[in-house]
Amino acid sequence: MEQSGHLAIKNLTKVYERGQVVALKDLSFSVKKGEFLVVIGLSGSGKSTLLRCINRLIEPTSGSVSLDGVDVTSLPSSRMRRMRRGMGMVFQHFNLISRSTVLTNVLTGRLGYTPVWKSMAGWFSKADHELAMKSLERVGLEEKAYVRADELSGGQQQRVGIARALMQQPSLLLVDEPVSALDPATSNSIMQYFEEINQSDDITVLTSLHFLSLARRYGTRIIALKGGELVFDGLPSDIDDSRFKEIYGEEAEEVEVR
Amino acid sequence: MDQRLDGSTLLGNLLHTRARTALKNRAFSFLLDWMIWGYVAYAVMFFLNHYWYTWIPGHWYDTLTLPSWGWPLTIIATLELTVICRNFGRSLGMRAFGLDLYPTSGERISFVRRLLRIAVWQLSVPVACVGFWSNPAVPLHDRAAGTVLRSTREVDREETDANDALGIARVRKPEKRALTTQWGIMSLFLLGLTFWLGWTIIEANLSVLTRRADKAGDLFQKIARPDFRYFFKEDPIFVLRRGSFAILDLMVLTLLMTLLSTVLGTAVAFPLSFLGARNIMSFHPVGLVIYTVVRGFFNIVRAIETLLWATIFAVWVGWGSPFAGVLALTVHTIAALGKLFSEQVEGIDKGPSEAIRAAGGNFFQVIRYAVIPQVVPAFWAFTLYRWDINVRMSTVIALVGAGGVGTLLFYYKNEGQWSIVGSVVVSIVVVVWLMDYLSGWLRERIVR
Ligand SMILES: Nc1ncnc2c1ncn2[C@@H]1O[C@H](COP(=O)(O)OP(=O)(O)OP(=O)(O)O)[C@@H](O)[C@H]1O
Ligand SMILES: [Mg+2]
Repeated sequence: MEQSGHLAIKNLTKVYERGQVVALKDLSFSVKKGEFLVVIGLSGSGKSTLLRCINRLIEPTSGSVSLDGVDVTSLPSSRMRRMRRGMGMVFQHFNLISRSTVLTNVLTGRLGYTPVWKSMAGWFSKADHELAMKSLERVGLEEKAYVRADELSGGQQQRVGIARALMQQPSLLLVDEPVSALDPATSNSIMQYFEEINQSDDITVLTSLHFLSLARRYGTRIIALKGGELVFDGLPSDIDDSRFKEIYGEEAEEVEVR
Repeated sequence: MDQRLDGSTLLGNLLHTRARTALKNRAFSFLLDWMIWGYVAYAVMFFLNHYWYTWIPGHWYDTLTLPSWGWPLTIIATLELTVICRNFGRSLGMRAFGLDLYPTSGERISFVRRLLRIAVWQLSVPVACVGFWSNPAVPLHDRAAGTVLRSTREVDREETDANDALGIARVRKPEKRALTTQWGIMSLFLLGLTFWLGWTIIEANLSVLTRRADKAGDLFQKIARPDFRYFFKEDPIFVLRRGSFAILDLMVLTLLMTLLSTVLGTAVAFPLSFLGARNIMSFHPVGLVIYTVVRGFFNIVRAIETLLWATIFAVWVGWGSPFAGVLALTVHTIAALGKLFSEQVEGIDKGPSEAIRAAGGNFFQVIRYAVIPQVVPAFWAFTLYRWDINVRMSTVIALVGAGGVGTLLFYYKNEGQWSIVGSVVVSIVVVVWLMDYLSGWLRERIVR
């Protein structure tokens, strides 16, 4: 099998049974270690579906995803769970357990490493607790560790989400529209965390973004989806006016987010 | 395929995939209409018998005396009424199954065409029965009258699509007021009819309330002057399972019964509720089978009232045994709470579960970390609420021999000692009120 990088996606297709929607059409691309890849595209173009097919939160219909040479799509569910430890995920709506403390939320990032019986009792090792505090420090929330997650602001909640993903010590971070529920200033600060993680930990980041300006600023490479198909794959600087119209449609106009 | 009706997409569509559902809906809606008119016919016969002939005491259904030739007449009249009702406007059955009559040509269906449809309908049935059913979606009478019975939702969608294609903004026709429509008037009529019928059958008789008021007044006076003689002291005459008890003894026992059964019931309902939640179990076909079985269990057990369970267990473990009461309350608590819990689990936000799965969590870890935290407040609220119900229930299950303070209540009632009954009632009221208050207070504390 030809190995064209860290993450390789081949002929990935996803058809939702319900409504017979073809969300991804024969998608192929690969990602190199340490890249900051941004996926753009209109709403409904299949960005979330793509990210969830990679860690198989959504089962792809056909095609393959391989990470470091391991074919993810054919793994049985127990091995798949182990595989997921290496892929952190950050969500658009944060997906925190709102009634639990920030610390508990961050610790759940270790569930893939914790024996089931221990986690049922809510026991995490001392090392896990230390790692959790360190992750929280990294996102500047160490003093909020014992606060309930729903008492935090949106930006703070997303930082908890990042800390939780870091707990997995992943080699790949899947990020689904991390800032579309946040204001522009907070968006930028959140994106800077990803940039920092990408550069200092050498974690590959694969993120979908709504705003092209953010994609241009943070991405080292951009791919664009339209109706589930790959319509662009290249450097941020390659997206000119005509490319933009191709991706977003004729009437679209670029909005700046600073 | 039948091409006589030209190749218009309207009919073409009907003939294919949707034809079967359309036909089924049509048949059911007709059946419903026929049942409605049958019910009206029944009511008419009932009232005729009731007001003009003799009232045969005993069985109210016996009063349906008709001459033998009356029956075919009634059936045919009902059938005809149904057909007319469905042709002149939108009947209740049509409304219930989302159907309406549309013209294939022209703006509206003229009076003559409606009459024609009624007439040909009579032919349509034998033709269909003999197998000349060439086009199931558009039977003979529809063809003759140039009408079609279609799903309103489907027509709506097609119109919207057509308008979208032409770029016309959809102007929705304002809904008619229900009481200006045929089905609205019919519903109101049926409601009135049912009330009248029920009133007559039950023999509701308001005068008896005033006529016998002094008897009740006497009773109330005795109850209102409760005699607390046996509150602390045991009644020497009353013996239950070789022991004698004061009211307080049995009151405490009753509370223990409710506590035990609520705790036990919750403990069983809690794990079962996850098995009874569709979103949790839909990961695998086997899971869905378990889901169906568990939900079926909840529904069946819940449908059998606590009082019936108490009857069963009183026979099983012995008359007057509080254990029977505990079992009855527990069983019903399991089913009732199980259902409420499951529905709560089905309503959770799936975001956190997604996050736990993405971090490599397995089924149990998802439940422990993503599902339970979301449902715990509601579970507490339901449990406390159930405790409330159990306390109230426990005071009456003694009626069927399932133990508890009710035993004394019914004992003194049978003895005609209404003042002592009064003291038991007061005790029950105080305890129920206190429990109500306590569980409300706890609910506020715990559920945040
Ligand atoms: N569970 C589902 N069942 C059926 N169809 C779905 C489901 N989830 C998504 N789709 C469809 O798949 C297509 C792609 O959806 P997806 O959520 O991946 O888009 P997206 O690019 O993430 O959009 P957005 O920017 O709005 O988040 C859409 O047409 C959507 O309607
Ligand atoms: Mg999305």
